[in-house]
Amino acid sequence: MRGSLRNKATIMKFTFAAVIALSALFNSPVLAADVAAKPMPEATEEFVEKGREIYIRRCSMCHGLLGDGNGPAADYMDPRPRDFTLGTFKFRKTQSGELPTDADLFRTVSRGLQGTGMQAFDSEIIKNGLSEEKRWQVIAYIKTFAQEFGDEELDPIKTNKLVSLPSNLPPYNDELIAKGKEIFLKAKCWECHGKQGRGNGQKAFDRKDDWGFPIRIRNVTLPWKIKGGSNVEDIYMRFSTGINGTPMPSFAKALSNEDRWALANFIKSLQHQLTSHQVLKAKKVEGEVPLKPDDTAWQTAEAMDMRLAGQVVAAPRWQNPSIELVTVKAAFNNKEIAFLMEWDDPFKDAIHKMDKVFKAKDINKVGAFNSYVAANDMIPRALETYRDSVALQFPAKFKPGTKKPHFLRGNSSNPVNLWVWKADLAEKAKSGAEEATARGYQQPARAQAKDQQQVTATSEWKDGRWRVVMKRRLVTEDSNDIQFSTGKFIPMSLNAWDGSNGEHGLIMSLSTWHFVFLEAPTPMVIYVYAMLAFLITGGLGIWLMKKALAKTA
Amino acid sequence: MSKFKINRFWSVVATILVIYGIVKWIIPAVSRNITSLPFPLTVPGTLVFIYMTLTCVALFALVTFSDEFLEEFWGPIRKMLRGEYTKAFRLVVLVVVPLIVGWQIYDITVPKVQLPSSLRIQHPSSNFPKKFEAIKNPFNEPSKERVATFIEQVKEDEIKFIPQVQKDIDTWKEEADPDHTLQFLPGEPVKKLLAELKAEKITEATAKQALHQIDLFEGRALYAMNCRPCHGDSVAGDGPMADGFKLRPINFTDNGTIETIVEGYTFWRVMNGGPGLPTEATPWDSAMPEWKKNLTDEERWKIILAEYDLAEKTPRIPESE
Repeated sequence: MRGSLRNKATIMKFTFAAVIALSALFNSPVLAADVAAKPMPEATEEFVEKGREIYIRRCSMCHGLLGDGNGPAADYMDPRPRDFTLGTFKFRKTQSGELPTDADLFRTVSRGLQGTGMQAFDSEIIKNGLSEEKRWQVIAYIKTFAQEFGDEELDPIKTNKLVSLPSNLPPYNDELIAKGKEIFLKAKCWECHGKQGRGNGQKAFDRKDDWGFPIRIRNVTLPWKIKGGSNVEDIYMRFSTGINGTPMPSFAKALSNEDRWALANFIKSLQHQLTSHQVLKAKKVEGEVPLKPDDTAWQTAEAMDMRLAGQVVAAPRWQNPSIELVTVKAAFNNKEIAFLMEWDDPFKDAIHKMDKVFKAKDINKVGAFNSYVAANDMIPRALETYRDSVALQFPAKFKPGTKKPHFLRGNSSNPVNLWVWKADLAEKAKSGAEEATARGYQQPARAQAKDQQQVTATSEWKDGRWRVVMKRRLVTEDSNDIQFSTGKFIPMSLNAWDGSNGEHGLIMSLSTWHFVFLEAPTPMVIYVYAMLAFLITGGLGIWLMKKALAKTA
Repeated sequence: MSKFKINRFWSVVATILVIYGIVKWIIPAVSRNITSLPFPLTVPGTLVFIYMTLTCVALFALVTFSDEFLEEFWGPIRKMLRGEYTKAFRLVVLVVVPLIVGWQIYDITVPKVQLPSSLRIQHPSSNFPKKFEAIKNPFNEPSKERVATFIEQVKEDEIKFIPQVQKDIDTWKEEADPDHTLQFLPGEPVKKLLAELKAEKITEATAKQALHQIDLFEGRALYAMNCRPCHGDSVAGDGPMADGFKLRPINFTDNGTIETIVEGYTFWRVMNGGPGLPTEATPWDSAMPEWKKNLTDEERWKIILAEYDLAEKTPRIPESE
């Protein structure tokens, strides 16, 4: 008996140890190899030729046969694929203007550049990825495009032009962030990136890279758009090395290591934390629903982040959307419902020129060269050309469990009800909202009759961010309108346009179906059940206690 | 008694906690390592309930095995009820336990805002036309005429490429000034063809292999222009648009995707896109375009050729064979 007990205790000890060891194992992040195990092998002719085979198979469609960044897919992408011929590389751990090291190229090929067309090629990240040796082969070939790589005097290692992360840096903390903010103001980062980091500085529009292509100043609050990586260490490197070929300078001389580290921590603190739910819980309010974007009632309403993608379902297709995130809130009372939409847009565009509208006829046919809109030249991506706009989309007729309309504007048998807000309308009239019906993307959405226009809106553009509220009665008499009632998951999606990014019509960003839910009050009977359970268990406890006491007596 | 002795009551409590911990946290954590998906697979609620019921039944059988065991189990409970661990502790237990039970009942019965799960069939066949089952990719087995024409074009060095890649090849030619245009393509088949051209004895087999390399090259370019924004440059479902869709673009390198269907099915899906899906596959959530509206049959077949090649997969063999 005693022996078995000892065994049991030992087993339990082991179990505990195992639990702790296992949890430690599973909490560790999956490490992808963006640092090579061995340095680059000697670039023999055979080695480079193998690299060429990989390059033609995996890279040339974007980067081109000459490595000049002019492959067949290049014109449709912003940022464009890298031009390898000049040896100008953005993401390095070398001083501003210098060539990258082999390790820098290896890192980029391995982990890709998030938010761009360059995905990770590490065979530990994707199943058909490249092994370390194959990555070195393709890098050896890429280096043949620029003669600079053959010049020993330009070798960043031999000339000691490396930038490394200082040791003993303090961890991420509030004090560091506050210091970083001061440096952000002092170093005038806001001139381009804006005071809130939304890319809305005065100097932000119309910047160009060394090739003359327009550059969008990064909105640093969206971590998935930070190409060089969104970790504090990555951000630190961008200030310390600059981004070659772009207006982003190095601050290695202007700011000390500590200051740059504080600044990196501040930038990290600006990054938005995405919510992950697909259901927007509307807040029940007493009295009037909030109609102003700055109404305090919104502060307690639950927010839902909606991710948007470029409209690539039908021509004209667009893969360079500006708006990738809209944060939505909703509030309702017995009569009305209001939605608040907030999104970053560095420039206010409240003008719409009808004569500039893109005609998709040429690219929208079988065998047209391509059905995408090119990033530059095909449409003006300029100020004061197209309006900013947003649209909430609901099924026109919705019964739970039935078919939904397609998320791109529905179809002839399943129309959608659109609540469209337009910046130019908002500028002219009190409300910028327009109710419309769409039966598929083939025809433009049709505005409803004047007496059926029941959505009202208020809007505000401040510090590179739009805040728009749209409000309507819960129930209307119009058969083309969505009708709201409590306790139902009502499908909802978004379309959004950034005018100065050339967006209008189907050249837009959009979300797939999410849901809005108007909570019904909790039925009384649920509280009764909980109370009953409490009383019965309590009673049972007291009865047992009495029994136990009686036994002692 | 040994210092290792643990009272039966506490060992029962510990067992329940350990098993609950395994089901609730350890299994999902292990699942992540097995599936290598970016999220854990949680154990379904009903299964948790079954595991915990079985545990309780087993423990009940153990405790009631003999009067001695039962007595040992009841000991601490009885002591607590008699107030032997202080009366205040008894009061706390007698209030807290019913509160927990009440809260649990409330938690189970209160309506929750949770997305209604919608089941979706990924490869629906209800409206798949039978005639597509046995259809073959014409670029896998080029006709004799096509090969013959190609050999003539190679001899004249006037190969016809699709317009989408022509510009890139032309600029390369200007810069590289090659003996023959085909030199832009690396690999054995093209080398062999050019050697045979020099020796003036091009064989059909070699020409066919080189032609296949050109078809793949063109297919990859068409893929990069049309499909890459969502499905990614390595067909791994990781394009820059991928995170914007609730229904993520398919990762063609995953097992159970394009290798489980016949080529004709892939062709039919690319042709009709989301709108061509039957209701059970929730067409309203799919961002897949109806490519028949913008791409020719040949362009779509070339894309499919390149897609299987890049994914390192082969299509399923049709049933009729």
